[in-house]
Amino acid sequence: MANKSGKAPMTSWEKNQFKWGWIFILPTMIGLIALNIYPIFATVYQSFFKTGDFGRGNIFVGLENYATMIKDAEVWQSLWNTIKYAIIEVPFSICIALVLAVFLNRKMKGRSVYRAIFFLPMIAAPAAVAMVWRWLYNSQFGLLNNLFGLHVEWISNPKIAWISVAVIGVWSILGYNIVLFIAGLQDIPHDYYEAAEIDGASGVAAFFNITLPLLSPTIFFVLITRVIGAMQVFDLVYMVMDRTNPALPKTQSIVYLFYQYSFNFGNKGYGSAIVMLLLAVILIVTVFQNIGQKKWVFYN
Amino acid sequence: MKKRFAAMAMASAMVLSLTPVTGMTTMAADALQVVIWDSNQQAGIQEICDLFEEETGIPAKVEVKSWDSYWQLLEAGAQGGDLPDVFWMHSNNSQMYMKNDMLLKLDDYIEASDVIDIENYMPEVTELYTYDGSYYAIPKDYDTIALWYNKTMFDEAGLAYPDNTWTWDDLYDAAVALTDKDNNRYGFAMNPSNDQDTYYNMVYSMGGTILKEDKTSGYDDPATLKAMEYVGKLLTDACPNPTTMSETGTDVMMSSGTVAMIMQGSWMTAGFMQNEYMCENCDVAILPYDKETGIRASICNGLGWAASSMTDRPDDCWKLLEWFGSKEMQMKQAELGVTMSAYEGTSDTWVNCTDIFNLQPYLEMAGESKDEGVTNELVLRPYTYNSTVWSSAAQSALVAAWNDPSQMEQVCKDFAVQMNQYIAQENG
Repeated sequence: MANKSGKAPMTSWEKNQFKWGWIFILPTMIGLIALNIYPIFATVYQSFFKTGDFGRGNIFVGLENYATMIKDAEVWQSLWNTIKYAIIEVPFSICIALVLAVFLNRKMKGRSVYRAIFFLPMIAAPAAVAMVWRWLYNSQFGLLNNLFGLHVEWISNPKIAWISVAVIGVWSILGYNIVLFIAGLQDIPHDYYEAAEIDGASGVAAFFNITLPLLSPTIFFVLITRVIGAMQVFDLVYMVMDRTNPALPKTQSIVYLFYQYSFNFGNKGYGSAIVMLLLAVILIVTVFQNIGQKKWVFYN
Repeated sequence: MKKRFAAMAMASAMVLSLTPVTGMTTMAADALQVVIWDSNQQAGIQEICDLFEEETGIPAKVEVKSWDSYWQLLEAGAQGGDLPDVFWMHSNNSQMYMKNDMLLKLDDYIEASDVIDIENYMPEVTELYTYDGSYYAIPKDYDTIALWYNKTMFDEAGLAYPDNTWTWDDLYDAAVALTDKDNNRYGFAMNPSNDQDTYYNMVYSMGGTILKEDKTSGYDDPATLKAMEYVGKLLTDACPNPTTMSETGTDVMMSSGTVAMIMQGSWMTAGFMQNEYMCENCDVAILPYDKETGIRASICNGLGWAASSMTDRPDDCWKLLEWFGSKEMQMKQAELGVTMSAYEGTSDTWVNCTDIFNLQPYLEMAGESKDEGVTNELVLRPYTYNSTVWSSAAQSALVAAWNDPSQMEQVCKDFAVQMNQYIAQENG
C-alpha cells in the first residue's frame, strides 16, 4: 500500500511500513498456504485418482470418482443430513445468542460471571463435549431419561437423532456467537436508544428498530461463518454415534463420510471427490447469501 | 529496538506454532518410541520396556492411541516417512504394510540372533506377518474367544452355569430363560461390531465361513446363513434392543448387570479384572459347540511387534523386538496378565496370573478337545489385503438385520455381493 503510485521512490518510513507489513502477515500466509491452500489443490488433484497405498501408485481415473458419487445414494443422504443439521444449528444458535447477548449487554450484577458461563462450552474440547452429551443422551443410563423418567432413544432413533446432535451443536456454539454479538452491540451509539426512549418506544420496539438493523453486519458475518461451520460438522457425529448405531445413516454428515472413505477405508480419491461436492455446495450457498445481504444488511 | 525484537520473536513464535508438529521425532533423549492401541496393556508393556532399559541402557517409551487414531497415525507416518520406531501390527493391515516395505525386514536379524527362533511361536501368528517368505514382525500374543457369564444372574434364575457340554441350543435356552424384558434383564448381547468375538465364532462352529478359500465372500454360504439365522433368533428373544446395545456397548451392559452372557476375547480380561462388578459376579466358560457339526470354533488372532523400515536406529529397534520376543519377556507378559503370549508353552502362566476369573477356557480353546464327538477348531481371523473396508461395511450393513432379524438372510446375501466388489477393488 505504501508504493501505490510507483512514481516517487519509497521514503524510509514507507519502506519500513512495507517491510513490517509483510513480516506481520507472513506467519498467517505461510500457515494458510501450507495448511489450507496447498491442501485444496492437492484434494482437487487427488479426486481424479484411484489412490494407492501410502500415496504411492495413484492411478488416474478421470471423472470416475465423481460419476460414482453422483450415483451414490449415501452421499446425497449425507448431504441432506448435513443441511438438516445446519437448518437447526444456524438459526437457533443465532436467535438464542442474540437475545442472550442483548441481556448480557445491560448493566447488571454478575454480568461477567454469566458471560463466562455462556462462553465455557467454547473452551471445552469438542470431543469432550460430545462425549459428555453422549452419556447424557444414553437411553439406558443417561441422565436425561432418568431425570425425567423417559425412555427416549435420543441418539439411536433415526427420527430424532439428528435433532439431538444439532442441539449439542447449538449449545456448544452459543457462547461464541454471544461474544461476537456483544462486540457488535457495543458499537451501537447509545444516543439512538435515548432518542427512542424520549419518543416513547418500548424495549421490544427498540430491539427491532434499532438493535437489529444496526447489528445486521455482525449478524451477517455470524450467519456466513456459522453456515460454513455447520456444513462442515464432523466431530459431534463422530464422537456421539457409533458405527453400528441404526440412526447413523440418517445422521452422518458429509465430512463424516469423507473421513470414513479417506482415513478408514484408505480410498482418498473418492473421499476427495466427496469433499469437493461439499466445497461446491458451500460456495453456492455463500454466493447466494452475499447477494441476499443487500436486502437486509445495513452498513452506516 | 526492544519492541522490534519482541515483535520479531512473536512473529517467529507464531510461525513455529503454525508448523504442523508430528510429535514423532521430537521425543526427548534417545528413547525409542513404542506405540500401541490398547490402554489395558500399557502398564505391563511399559514395565517390560523398563527392564529393557536396565538391561541395555536404551530407554523406550510406550504411547497409547485409540484404535482409529492409531491406524491414522501409522498411515500418515508411513506416507510422510516418519513412522514410530516400534509398534504393533494387526492382520487387518499387515499385508498392506509388508507389501509396501514399511516394516523392517527381520530375516537377517533373526538368523543372527540366538534369542529368537521363529519355530517357538504359534505358527498361525507367524504366518500373519510373513510376506514373500520374509518375516516382518515378531509374534507378540494370540487371542481366543470365550463366554463370559454372570454367576449371580444364573443363581437367581436357578440355572446351571455354562460348561463344556453346552451346545448353541443350550446357550439359546438359557439366554431366553434369563431374559426379563420388563425388569431390563437380558440373557445375551451382541452388536454387529462384535464380529471377531461373537458371530464369526457361531458361523465357523456351524460349518460356515466369512471368507472362502478363493477370497470371495462367505456371507451367502448356506451354513453361514444358518448361523446368522441363529444370531437373529438370539437377537429377537434374548437381547436388548439393538438401539440400546449400539449406544452402550455390550461389555458395559455386562459389567452393569444388565446382560447375563456375552462372548469376549482374551484381550478384554485385563480390563475386566479392574472392574469391581465383573470380579464379584462374573466368570468365564468355554464356547458352546454345534450339535450337528460337532465343532467348537474360536476365532484366533495375534499381534506382532514390528519396527519401522525408516528408523535411523534399526539395530536398537531390533534389540527391543528381540527383547519382547524372548522367552523370559513373553513369560513376563503372560505373568503380568497383559495377554496370552505367542511363545508356545507360556500360556499356563497367563491362566495363573489371576484367581479372580477362571481363564482356562481361553487356553483350552487352543488345544485338543477333551469332549467326545467335539473337535476344537482355532480359526484365524479372516483377512484380505485391506480387510478394514469390508469388515466395517459388514458392521454397517448388518445393522438392518439387527433391527429386523427377519431380514437376516436377505441382508447377508446382499452383503456378499457388496463384499466381493470391495475385495475386487483392493490394491493388492
